[in-house]
Amino acid sequence: MEIQMKRGLLDVCVLASIKNEDSYGYQIIKDISPYVEISESTLYPILRRLESGSLLTVRSAEHNGRLRKYYHITEQGLARIDAFKDEWKEIMMIYEYVTREEKKDE
Amino acid sequence: MNKAELMDSLRKSLRGLPEEELNKSLDFYEEMIEDRMEDGMSEDEAVAAVGDVKDISAKILSDVSLPKLVKEKVKRRRGMKAWEIVLLAIGFPIWFPILITMAVLIFVLYLVFWCLIVSFYCVDLAFLLGGLGSIGFAIFAIVQGIPNAGIVLFGAGLILVGLSIPFFMLCNLFAKGMLKTGKAIILGIKYLFVGKREEENEEEIKEEVKEATAENVTEEVMEAVATEVQEEVATDAAAEETAGGVMA
Repeated sequence: MEIQMKRGLLDVCVLASIKNEDSYGYQIIKDISPYVEISESTLYPILRRLESGSLLTVRSAEHNGRLRKYYHITEQGLARIDAFKDEWKEIMMIYEYVTREEKKDE
Repeated sequence: MNKAELMDSLRKSLRGLPEEELNKSLDFYEEMIEDRMEDGMSEDEAVAAVGDVKDISAKILSDVSLPKLVKEKVKRRRGMKAWEIVLLAIGFPIWFPILITMAVLIFVLYLVFWCLIVSFYCVDLAFLLGGLGSIGFAIFAIVQGIPNAGIVLFGAGLILVGLSIPFFMLCNLFAKGMLKTGKAIILGIKYLFVGKREEENEEEIKEEVKEATAENVTEEVMEAVATEVQEEVATDAAAEETAGGVMA
């Protein structure tokens, strides 16, 4: 996949993984990795980028006697997911057109 | 490698990073390792899964802007002694031109970098326009009643337009390679800022030992960068050969 495209997709994947409830780094990786390949060193810049764009907020909470960072989605984060879905509706329509035309060819 | 060792070597190879930045990054990776261990991995496995020092430090570093690193470096310098200030003032006619020259040099290098890429595309554009022009003139010549010259021109035009296509692909390849190389060079420069720092008064000897380790890491990275550049050049050369074959 094209790098630029994958980056955008990963952003949305991370947002989606914290959409319903707050999550932490390792859980996010476990949730996403069946669908997209992601590693710690990929996730970290993404989380930072999303945080500085205020698409998510971070809080530290205690867990087993140590601190763990939990990520919480913001309104803007939710809006980003919606924007992604709208964009992909268009792309799916193009996809359908392409496959339909190909079938006609056969 | 266990967790403490990984954290230690990351800290060493990124010592020039702003303290807060560094701690934040290290906390993240530490948390990851601890979560993996809680999930049933052994410490070694967890550390290995998170990635190696070079990979992680490169990722952290490419996220911090170069001006920020320079600022940090300047900030960390201890206050100047009186004689240093005097020397600085006296030496102004010497170091100021050098500073300007360096700044201009960096700017020029940056400019050359982009000009190289643009010039490649310009050559391709010349192929295309030259070809189209020839075809136009060919039609004109045929209309004017010199069909021989017209046909020759027409053929030449087609060849030029045809050549512009593989050359365009070559341009893309070249631009991609240049951008990748540029990124690697910037990362290398960042390591120069981060790997070393002025000795502070505390524990000078210990510092020096650490310094040596940091230097090794920097060298290693520079070497990696050098190999990457070489590979890039090799790919480009290969591509050029292919294109040469097409022309022949």
